[in-house]
Amino acid sequence: MRKRPEHFRPIEYVMFSLVTLAVMCLCVCVGSVSIPLPETVRVIWSALTGQEQTSGLSNSIILSVRLPRVFCVALSGSALSLAGAAMQGLLKNPLADGSTLGVSSGASLGAVLAIALGVAIPWLPFSGTMVMAILFAFLSLLVILGLAYKLDYSLSTNTIILIGVIYSMFMSSLMSIVITFAADKIQSITFWTMGSLQNSSYKNAAILLAAFLLCGGVLFFHARELNAFAVGEDNARHVGVDVRRTKLTVLIMVSILIGVCVSIGGTISFVGLVTSHMVRMIVGPNHRRLLPASAFGGAVFLLLADLAARILLNPRELPIGVVTSLVGAVVFVFIFYQTRKN
Amino acid sequence: MLREKKRTILYSLGLAACLAAGITGLTASADEENAGGVSITDMKGREITLEQPAERIVALTASDCEILYAIGAGDKLVGRGTYCDYPEEVLEVPEVNSGEDMNIEEVIALDPDVLLMSDMAQTEEQVQMLEDAGIRVVVSEAKDIEGVYTAIKMIGALMGQDEKAAEVIDGMKDTFAQLSEKATGDGTQTVYFEVSPLEYGLWTSGANTFMDEIATMLGVKNCFSDVDGWGEISEEQVLERNPDFIVTITMYYGEGPTPTEEILSRKGWENVSAVKNQKILNLQDDELSRPAPRLADGAKLLYDFIYGGTEEESEVATEVTPAESVEIE
Repeated sequence: MRKRPEHFRPIEYVMFSLVTLAVMCLCVCVGSVSIPLPETVRVIWSALTGQEQTSGLSNSIILSVRLPRVFCVALSGSALSLAGAAMQGLLKNPLADGSTLGVSSGASLGAVLAIALGVAIPWLPFSGTMVMAILFAFLSLLVILGLAYKLDYSLSTNTIILIGVIYSMFMSSLMSIVITFAADKIQSITFWTMGSLQNSSYKNAAILLAAFLLCGGVLFFHARELNAFAVGEDNARHVGVDVRRTKLTVLIMVSILIGVCVSIGGTISFVGLVTSHMVRMIVGPNHRRLLPASAFGGAVFLLLADLAARILLNPRELPIGVVTSLVGAVVFVFIFYQTRKN
Repeated sequence: MLREKKRTILYSLGLAACLAAGITGLTASADEENAGGVSITDMKGREITLEQPAERIVALTASDCEILYAIGAGDKLVGRGTYCDYPEEVLEVPEVNSGEDMNIEEVIALDPDVLLMSDMAQTEEQVQMLEDAGIRVVVSEAKDIEGVYTAIKMIGALMGQDEKAAEVIDGMKDTFAQLSEKATGDGTQTVYFEVSPLEYGLWTSGANTFMDEIATMLGVKNCFSDVDGWGEISEEQVLERNPDFIVTITMYYGEGPTPTEEILSRKGWENVSAVKNQKILNLQDDELSRPAPRLADGAKLLYDFIYGGTEEESEVATEVTPAESVEIE
């Protein structure tokens, strides 16, 4: 096995960025309505140079529909993948993800409650679900951690995952109860739980970017601690890591990332689980390399999944979660099989 | 040998005659017994015979509840499905879970003669259990306007309200006939039906839906008639197909922008004809999505929206107001 460098080298940053950028370009150029490439380039060029916009169909489609969606999808993918990689390192468990911890379900319950109760912030339309999702992701975290501390002071991974699974079930039953009582809003809630990135706007992308930069940055500065955790919790403690504080920080960052993603795109499963596994096979288990690579990998994976969702059944669209689960499950089994064979 | 054969033939003829007589007798007596009874074929082709019109009925779908009230049999309704919400009186009727969570005990406890349901969610086992409990299960599942007539007629027969049912059907037919005669469209203008707003992913109502059928009747083309049934569609396609009218059935709960305002404010939709000309209709009460008599109301609303009937009405209204104020003075 060749020796891997300690850091994510600049050349690797450039390579990963180029691949991500190429996929982003592909996703902007290809879509349900076919727009010739020169036309696409012209529209984007005139938007970039601030020229007078010719109000045409391709203009609307590229600038108002595709670009914001591509940004949102890429950033959601990065955020979810980063969250997955961090959780897996922290809990030393390859199955850890926002969903297994229960943070995603908590966030979903928050968003469903926001729809059922009509929580909305007057000057910011559609922000009710986001605030409630983040809030509930936090609350879920507090409940999960609080319980875990009571049951097992060292927060061993088994305890957390067990509580996470039970918590998820509890959240889904609460969600069913909310849906039963809010029968008049069943339409909104059902459509919401299916998840959609169709309403992506530049504002959503900006919110995702802010969350991604903040949480991604904090996580990246904890890469060393995550490496220690990945070997074992005791090991982390012995090499001088403030175990509980690191755990708390990472879990909070993860819950913000997941809360924002859930409120914007609904529950998109498998991204955090699959991409970080795939990326780990390319760059190795060192979190200082794994975290940035996961962010790029997640973006590429979700962009391609979204592209498939948009064009496979034209003019229909598939919910993106369906595509990620479908592809994710197959890829996951394939990779798992390959590693076992070697 | 020959004689023997003849005798056999004679015997069998006699037997046949006796049998025939017996059968006619039986049928006759059945007819007599059935004088006050009803015999219908439900919409799954099952033969159902009742000794008398149903006195207690449970209806699981919102449309069947509406039909029952429309034919004046609303007082016979002893239980309703979760999503039945029209007319308002129906909300006072005890609720049973509909769909896959249908609570069989609850239904049996209500002691109905008949349970009306659609074929969508109930399993064979559930139906069998109900039949075993002495409740006749009748399937009512209209897929087009013709089907709605069949359903109304069937429910009318079931409740002994044949005449009222025929009236309701004739009323609907008249309305549709009038509207389609008045409608001047030649199918060049297009309408886009929005079932779910952009926030949750766009869903539309394509071919083989009531909305599509009524749009065609009114001389406008559903711009997603290449999608079968309801489906999630791409925002890009809506922009490209550039509909002249938009009908949204998104519910409005009183907070934030109304569904119409929300569509008008969508980025990139400025050039869609319907948005440019503010031709957006928000239907809040399932008038066009339920296989019930109110489809006629929905068709009227859609007609007024497309051919500007509402403007005339509002003119009339403004003319009336000054006159009234004069009277008050």
